Amino acid sequence: MGKGSFRIFCLVLISALMLIMFTGCFDRREVDDLAYVIAIGLDKGKTNFLKMTLQIAVPLAVGSGNEGGGGNGNKSVILTTIETPSIFSGLNMANNYLSKEINLSHAKVVVFSEELAREGIQKYINALKRFREVRGNTYIVVSRGSAEEYLRSIKPLLEVNPAKFFEMNLSSYRYTSFTAGSKLLDFQLQQTSSGSQPVVTLASTGKFESSDEFNLEGSTYKEKDRSIPLEGDFMAGNIPRVGDLKSEIMGIAVFDGAKMVGELDGGEVTYYLIVNGSFDNFYFTFADPLHEGDYILVSIYTGRPPLSKMNMVEDKPVIDLDIKLEGDIISIQSGENYEDINKLPILEKTVEEFMKKEMERFLYKTSREFKSDICGFGKQMKKKFIDWNEWEKFNWLSKYKDAEFNVNIDFKVRRPGLIVRSTPVYTSEGKVAPK
Amino acid sequence: MKSKIAFGVWEAVTIMVILFCTQVFLDFPRTMVENAGNAGWILVIYVTIIVLLLFAIMSKLYSRFEGMDILDISEYLAGNVGRIIAGMVFLVYFVFILSVVLREYAENVKTVSLPTTPIVYIMCFFAISMIVGAYAGIEALVRTSAVSVPVIIVAYISILLGVSQYFDITNLFPILGTGAKDIFINGIPKISFFSAISVLFFIAPFVKTYKNFKSVGYISIIIAGIGLTLSSLVYMLVFPYPASLENVLPLYTLARLINYGRFFQRIETIFVVIWDTVAMLYLSTVLFLTVYVFKKTFKLVYYKPLIIPFTLIIVTVSLIPQSYMSVVELENRYFRRIIWTVSFAFITLIMLAAILFKKRRKRRS
Repeated sequence: MGKGSFRIFCLVLISALMLIMFTGCFDRREVDDLAYVIAIGLDKGKTNFLKMTLQIAVPLAVGSGNEGGGGNGNKSVILTTIETPSIFSGLNMANNYLSKEINLSHAKVVVFSEELAREGIQKYINALKRFREVRGNTYIVVSRGSAEEYLRSIKPLLEVNPAKFFEMNLSSYRYTSFTAGSKLLDFQLQQTSSGSQPVVTLASTGKFESSDEFNLEGSTYKEKDRSIPLEGDFMAGNIPRVGDLKSEIMGIAVFDGAKMVGELDGGEVTYYLIVNGSFDNFYFTFADPLHEGDYILVSIYTGRPPLSKMNMVEDKPVIDLDIKLEGDIISIQSGENYEDINKLPILEKTVEEFMKKEMERFLYKTSREFKSDICGFGKQMKKKFIDWNEWEKFNWLSKYKDAEFNVNIDFKVRRPGLIVRSTPVYTSEGKVAPK
Repeated sequence: MKSKIAFGVWEAVTIMVILFCTQVFLDFPRTMVENAGNAGWILVIYVTIIVLLLFAIMSKLYSRFEGMDILDISEYLAGNVGRIIAGMVFLVYFVFILSVVLREYAENVKTVSLPTTPIVYIMCFFAISMIVGAYAGIEALVRTSAVSVPVIIVAYISILLGVSQYFDITNLFPILGTGAKDIFINGIPKISFFSAISVLFFIAPFVKTYKNFKSVGYISIIIAGIGLTLSSLVYMLVFPYPASLENVLPLYTLARLINYGRFFQRIETIFVVIWDTVAMLYLSTVLFLTVYVFKKTFKLVYYKPLIIPFTLIIVTVSLIPQSYMSVVELENRYFRRIIWTVSFAFITLIMLAAILFKKRRKRRS
């Protein structure tokens, strides 16, 4: 190797080593020096604009498999609440008394109290989306009641990792259909959209301390002319249940822009998800058409993506919805042989009629009561316009309140589960045929 | 000019693709939204077609000057004065674009990865890689890009496919975005996004034949057109207008969204790797061209002693704008509006004048 080549080789080597070793000098951050926030709760403050609650992971406890939030002993999370003028000034204040620097890169959820949500959360969303540590897939939740109380009630008993608890709990809508996967990015895009409006999952702390206290005061079943509630006729906080888990999610908060304008229960969320086609499958209960007092349970999934056709008739939007669903039979309480090819249409027609009625109730609620196009029909309407000026002049969101809906539901049972026909039960009185 | 250095069509295509597509990793998709709303992707297709047509005319004119670069043609047209004027025009252009792109890359690294690091310190690392690349020369750079570009393309496509779960076709409507006028009339100066076409007229002697020159031009414009269109289209499919106007780094924002289950997420690190590779190749190549043009303009023997002084000038110039916003303003409001006059009009005029001059000389002789 010549002298010149050797010098060049040394220069390249030194440069390469510098690039590898010195790049992160200024931004070096030891993982052990950071306090990872898992959840942020925002309430209206008493002494300042905001009351902010931070749920911070305790990595050593998470690693050793200790219990979660609200319990005693070595918690996997700690909670701190602080009154502050804004989110980031609150983080600064918290940094002042915590031993480690707060980091939001693992934040899984931001909880807004209902009070705050009804005033509008645009300024908080704008602050969060600008900050590089916060990711678009962070969940957003509205707490019916205090966000602090909700976060303090969380006790991830089945999970050692509190972050995993939020990830799994808040994505359960794909198989329950009672909440929506409301994420920061979705909210950000929908609050600035002229063709759709945002929704956010509702959460709360269960209101019952023991099963003796159970009542149906918070259920929405009466509004729906039902004698008893179905599984979706509740909102978070009102589900008759007790147990070690105090926190619960159910229903969605409906927004007009960045202001909360109403709530939908779990059953109505099912129809929201059907219109949006954003679920995997869910269990669906309806009354047996031939046997009063009995119920049939089917597992429902999407046959084809829902189709919507939009027309303006006398300056009113007319929305034709065509929904194709498929399902498997899970349970027939009455034992009626609906699996029979001749009786199957009865079951299918019952589901179609029941769903059509409930779907229309849901859609008119969004338009007449909330005046909020949460299903994003405006995005379909946009296709009829050639350029943005025309579309903005049309002002879809102001027209949605007058929308008329024509819903067509096509439901087909595909599989009977593990039983191909219901057989009679034999008793001392002889064969008891299905009721 | 007869050059000893030679490289094939593929190598030249890859370096041209890097030069055309660097903007994708900066703010290109958002700039398209700023120009045509949600129809930005149509604007890219339209601009690509115009550039292809312009290149057809330019390559036809160039056919008479096989083996010469644009400085040789200028010299042929107007002697030393012609060469120096043309050289100075391109020098100013290269120094300006290099300073702007260097500052943009450094600012973006600071924003997304190294928020507390001083901007000068970040620039130093870019400067070191620029110097090393320029010292290695054009041959090493094109060979590196020939190896890197396929990897970059795969990573780029994986990012675009990775966000497919967020696609919403309704984001593309109203189909003409902010209007046909914004696309088809106001959009014409946006051919400046292909201003790197001028580089082709400097590396022409290295690709030897006119046929290779033509192939490199067409193939690279088409590949870049596809890449630029895809970036805009995917960005618009994910971010509806007007929310799509907000993001500083559209492609990085897209990469941050990729999330498949609990284990396949936060893959924007792939983006950062290809981002830096593209930056290094772009900055080194343009720095090489700057010193090469200077050397050739003033008929110097060596170009290597110019590398460090030019790097210092470029780093200094890039630090002049007060903020990232003023750099973007400078680039989009002024530079991209007028630079087509250098990359397309100026080169075409030189070649046209040289052809007329050639004909006149023939007639005289």
